[in-house]
Amino acid sequence: MSDYTPEEMIATVIAREVRDGETVAVGTLAPVPASGVLLAHFTHAPRARVIIINHPDYWPFRYGSKEFYDFAQRGNIDLFFLSGGQIDRHGNLNLIAVGDARNPRTRLPGGAGAPMLYYQAKRVVLFRTDHSPRIFVDRVDHVTSPGSSPPSVVRPGGPLICVTPLCVFRFDPAARMLVLASVHPGVSREELAQQTGFSLKGNPGAGVTDPPTAAELHLLRTRVREAVARAYPRYAEGAS
Amino acid sequence: MPVAGHVGSDYERLRPEFKVIPNPWAPTQRVLMVPALRCDVALIHALAAAPDGTLCLEPMEDDALLVQASGVVIASAERIMSADEVRASAGVVVEGIHVTAVVELPRGAHPTLVRGHYEVDAAHVAEYQAAAVDDETFRGYLARWVHGPKDHAAYLAEADRL
Repeated sequence: MSDYTPEEMIATVIAREVRDGETVAVGTLAPVPASGVLLAHFTHAPRARVIIINHPDYWPFRYGSKEFYDFAQRGNIDLFFLSGGQIDRHGNLNLIAVGDARNPRTRLPGGAGAPMLYYQAKRVVLFRTDHSPRIFVDRVDHVTSPGSSPPSVVRPGGPLICVTPLCVFRFDPAARMLVLASVHPGVSREELAQQTGFSLKGNPGAGVTDPPTAAELHLLRTRVREAVARAYPRYAEGAS
Repeated sequence: MPVAGHVGSDYERLRPEFKVIPNPWAPTQRVLMVPALRCDVALIHALAAAPDGTLCLEPMEDDALLVQASGVVIASAERIMSADEVRASAGVVVEGIHVTAVVELPRGAHPTLVRGHYEVDAAHVAEYQAAAVDDETFRGYLARWVHGPKDHAAYLAEADRL
């Protein structure tokens, strides 16, 4: 029994990846990364330039999402956040469909900016607020955006970590694989193995994720929640 | 037009109109090219419009691009005002040369929102989503909300009554 929610654990892991002074952007449908970025901004990263799509206080553009995408294509984003309907051991993301793309079992929302931002943002944090073998698969059905690219492809950026309610994976660029970095407190290796669709063998050394501190939880539940509510009112109502 | 990233994804298999070519300025690099999207007709909703087609658009949206990509542009607007007043309004201003017709339609974005004017009607969107799961229920939605009301004012009156 813990005194914090899985979302608070994920937001705290995300906050620790944000560096002061860098440009950090959060896309659509991402209240948990928005919480993590603002937690960092309100603590160790006061000089970070924070961009949150649909947030009236953190949207420094005047000409639609095109201006943001052009800004990102020029390589101006240091840290971004992506997810996938499926994520595989190589860090490949599937946002297209589960099953046949023309007659899918599940139609996913589509890639939107993901196939560009996964290359052009210098570091990308992958996140899921649920963790199951249906999501973390050995091989995605369709590659919306690959975890790594050959040298002939212009790719300044790529995956950094993947954070879930159970664990943190770190992307190993040499092995081109997600490697278990830490398991959250109270989560057993057996549970993690059961809920993950790819083998975790060869990941023996993973430690335990540092849980949120009392100060981090206090900020998440007060100032961060109030700020996130400006873009995600329904999420902030539900978070308790 | 070129798009950064993308190369090596399954879009090259699923979207044959996307082409990967050598970068003309750095031929060892491969870049993705996509064809421009051209629309016959665009229907958009503006914050304000003038009778000559000058529009003021929501700055978080990409409607100004859609206007330039479309042959016929029909803009509904929260308010009609003079072209000079539209140009002085907060938002993205589009000149009337791109616009075919304007229609005054307060709350024309319902059940979605116009930031700073009105919020999303979440209950109505939920009804739409539930109806959209199959053709039969969706026909029911169309009969009630699209073909049923005699005009937009009647539609809004019915939506507000619930």
